[in-house]
Amino acid sequence: MLLQLNNIFKWVNSGGQRIFLLKDINLEVQEGEFISVMGPSGSGKSTLLNVIGMLDGFEEGEYTFLDEPVHSLKEKHRANLYKEYIGFVFQQYHLLDDLTVQENLEMPLLYKKIKGTERKAMVADMLDRFNIVGKKDLFPAQLSGGQQQLVGIARALISSPKLILADEPTGNLNSSQGEEIMALFKQLNDEGVTIIQVTHSEKNAAYGSRIINLLDGRMI
Amino acid sequence: MLRSYLKIAWRNLSKNKSFTIINIGGLALGMAVTLMIALWIEDELTFNDGFEHSDRIAQVLANRTFNGQTDTNWTMARPLEFVLRDQYSDNFDHIVMCKNWVPQYLEYNGKKISKTGNFMQRGAPEMLSLTMVGGEKDGLRDMNSIMLDESTAHALFGSENPIGKTIEINGEFGVRVSGVYSDLPYNSSFHGMRFLMPLERFIASREWARNVISDWGNHSFSLFVQIADNTTFSNVSSKIKNVEKDQHTEAQFNPELFLFPMKDWHLRSQFKGGKQAGGRITYVWLFGIIGVFVLLLACINFMNLSTARSEKRSKEVGIRKSIGSHRSQLIKQFLGESFLVVMFAFASALLLVHLSLDSFNDLAQKEISFPWHEPLFWVASSMFILLTALLAGSYPAMYLSSFKPVEVLKGTFRAGKNATTPRKVLVVFQFSVSMAFIIGTVIVAQQINHAKNRPSGYDKKGLVQLPVMSKEFAGKQDLFRDELLASGGITEMSTSSSPTTGVWSTWGGFVWEGQPDNFQVDMAWTWVSPEYVESLNLDIVHGRDFSRTMATDSMTILINRTAMDYMGLPDPVGKHIWFPTDNGPQFKMKIIGVVEDVIAQSPYEPVKQSIYAYDRANNASFYNLRLNPAHSTAENLASIEMVFKQHFPQLPFEYQFVDEEYGKKFASEERIGMLSGVFTGLAILISCLGLFGLASYVAEQRTKEIGIRKVLGASVFNVWKMLSNGFLKLIVLSSLIAIPISYYIMDGWLQEFTYRIILKWWIFALAMLGAIVITILTISFQAIKAARSNPIKSLRTE
Ligand SMILES: Nc1ncnc2c1ncn2[C@@H]1O[C@H](COP(=O)(O)OP(=O)(O)OP(=O)(O)O)[C@@H](O)[C@H]1O
Ligand SMILES: [Mg+2]
Repeated sequence: MLLQLNNIFKWVNSGGQRIFLLKDINLEVQEGEFISVMGPSGSGKSTLLNVIGMLDGFEEGEYTFLDEPVHSLKEKHRANLYKEYIGFVFQQYHLLDDLTVQENLEMPLLYKKIKGTERKAMVADMLDRFNIVGKKDLFPAQLSGGQQQLVGIARALISSPKLILADEPTGNLNSSQGEEIMALFKQLNDEGVTIIQVTHSEKNAAYGSRIINLLDGRMI
Repeated sequence: MLRSYLKIAWRNLSKNKSFTIINIGGLALGMAVTLMIALWIEDELTFNDGFEHSDRIAQVLANRTFNGQTDTNWTMARPLEFVLRDQYSDNFDHIVMCKNWVPQYLEYNGKKISKTGNFMQRGAPEMLSLTMVGGEKDGLRDMNSIMLDESTAHALFGSENPIGKTIEINGEFGVRVSGVYSDLPYNSSFHGMRFLMPLERFIASREWARNVISDWGNHSFSLFVQIADNTTFSNVSSKIKNVEKDQHTEAQFNPELFLFPMKDWHLRSQFKGGKQAGGRITYVWLFGIIGVFVLLLACINFMNLSTARSEKRSKEVGIRKSIGSHRSQLIKQFLGESFLVVMFAFASALLLVHLSLDSFNDLAQKEISFPWHEPLFWVASSMFILLTALLAGSYPAMYLSSFKPVEVLKGTFRAGKNATTPRKVLVVFQFSVSMAFIIGTVIVAQQINHAKNRPSGYDKKGLVQLPVMSKEFAGKQDLFRDELLASGGITEMSTSSSPTTGVWSTWGGFVWEGQPDNFQVDMAWTWVSPEYVESLNLDIVHGRDFSRTMATDSMTILINRTAMDYMGLPDPVGKHIWFPTDNGPQFKMKIIGVVEDVIAQSPYEPVKQSIYAYDRANNASFYNLRLNPAHSTAENLASIEMVFKQHFPQLPFEYQFVDEEYGKKFASEERIGMLSGVFTGLAILISCLGLFGLASYVAEQRTKEIGIRKVLGASVFNVWKMLSNGFLKLIVLSSLIAIPISYYIMDGWLQEFTYRIILKWWIFALAMLGAIVITILTISFQAIKAARSNPIKSLRTE
């Protein structure tokens, strides 16, 4: 088992009122799964993904990731766990504008303190794999949306995470670009990477092995 | 990692050019000011460090109490030396009696120059660790010897070897050059000591000096000592405390001797009521504080611009955190960036200091050179860079790295908003400091002006004085005067024993009719020729002027207005003063008139009670010449020089304009005022630079809002008002902080001057108004630019 959420509640207090963002979420994810999270806008999909990705906390419940109790870990420890095993892909790509493609790919490795030569090799590998060697010295603004998302995925993959979290990865792309990304996800999943994606499209959801539906912060 | 950080930092800096220029420029200015001040302070603190024994050299001073008021004097009686040598020699390595700063004519081979130097005893060259260029260090052994500093030796001998040659002094006697020492550095108390002769030589050539050899009542010398290794200043001070009192039993002024250590001579030389009361050290502190504040102002710019721009950086923070960055890594990254900026700023500051050092030296009257070669300087600079980077970078680094990725990546985050309050606080701080600087500078300038405009009591313009201490002048004044008058270069000439701009001797011990009992007299005493009042254009308040034609006038005196009160004589004309002796009154002199007070000493203090006595014994030290207003100054001087050359062909024609000499009284305060004025200007410039950046940022941030408002019909003025309002409120708040603080500080400063301005409210109002005008000008540029931009364009770019 990769991760397990038990009775997760998340809320914010606003004007004396408690607004629930997540309500009693129970979820078990096995290694090698490809899960699609669906639901109307505002239903809490991104919130759930952020909680799973440890970018966001929660108020109640237990979260176990590879047998580690995430809810009781120290910030630093949690960040290490996250850095080691999780890669994020965003709808808005979120590449570092001031860095070239190659440098963007290198960044997570720097944070993992991987040595120079090894790093170069891994970056070269990834560029090769995604067919973007020719673009390595360009800045994000010089790429199309699809290309940027490819770089985003490559960056998420470069530290060989066990889990990829993708929040509407194709949301800003046209359909053919979207299909390309989905095919890539499928291929990664086949190689053993666990994927959780948020999507509004039934077609994209179909790439996954399981669908989770959210409504008002509750799993249905 | 580091390379990656630097790369990003570099790209960030080069992408936001205006931000970078403002940031680096502001910091560079601030650091340059701080560096400059640091160099200045270092120079002040190392004053006299050039003397090897500076930590064991002291001057003997005396606290003497007249009428309940304790004064600290450096003048000592000749026999003090003998007592110290006989009974206290264990405590001293050197005891050096000295007659210092005596101008003399030195003549060699027909060449005659006037130089100022000291007559000191044999231990002086050792004590002052003179660096010998030629001859022997023990050069004062023989009474008829002289030691010259290098530049004087050069001026007199050129390339000739001076050692063993004989120089004629004042045309009176010859001395043999026994040694040549390196010029004393400008930052030492003996700077400008052009020659050294044995004190015995001085005494031998002056009758009065021979007469006071055992006279405890005559205080005409100064005494320097070097204490022994095994004792301390305070130890020795307590031992010698009562020496003068015990020996000079008839003295009523309770003299107490103590040692004044060399390390205090320059910075802590003021005494109030017999206690050390600071001195120049105040200005060292003042400038130190200014330096720190200016640096703070520059750092605040950096902080404010960084946090204001944080929205741009927030996305980066979010992404970095989402791909595995720890907060500590982000903090390091941002600190690295500030470090980089500070490095650039420091390099620019070095350049700025290098380029402006000459002008700074002119302004500060220093000879500071850049310590490129001193490792210590570079160590200190590294610390300085590190400290500044931390100071400027910590807050932005903490702030920026605290962003939560979930929030910033959602895209709705207004990062800049959270730091608005701290930013306002920092801006208020900046402007409070700048305004306090403005107020301080204005008040200093006012006080100096106030003292300058104080009536000096005589007509300084067109008055020239010739120093006439050489023997050649003796007895020639009447003839000289006649011929000068005939030449048409002057309208009057007088002589005096003190310069118009100083009091060279004070006298006590005499009495007058109606003098209160037990009154210890201390009055300025100047011997003058009968034309003194006329040549200075002094007003006679009561009685009459001296007259050459009345034979009895040779035993008459004039007193000044202050002396009437001091002596308790509402109607002094016709009263007598005399010196009591066992054989009855001696030198009975009649007061024939009262003249207006003349500011001879500090223009910030009350005029001293003074006596001008009819000079019948050739006590002239100066000829005072009233130039003929009918001719130009140049013509007058030419006529005077011609007469001078006829009478004194050997002597160089030296003269001083009295108004220039008078102006020197303000030099120190003026210099301080000028320096603080420059620093204030820079501080304001730095603050404005920050404000400019901030305003441009706010305008940029509100581009969309401005666009919408303009579409809705807002005028340029409306928008300008909207953007300026926020800043103006901050300025007003700053005034409320700055005004009371600067009032308190400046009021304290003014207390040092007896003659001072009264602080008026309008100074503060003016400073506030000035700050407001500067603020408006600074932000208006951005505000108007934003207000005039095409709304459609700005809306489309969103
Ligand atoms: N910090 C917050 N304070 C208050 N409400 C919040 C906060 N964060 C999220 N929400 C609310 O929680 C709900 C869930 O938000 P979330 O972003 O997870 O929705 P989503 O399912 O991803 O929607 P979309 O499909 O539009 O991306 C929304 O109604 C949102 O307004
Ligand atoms: Mg969402």
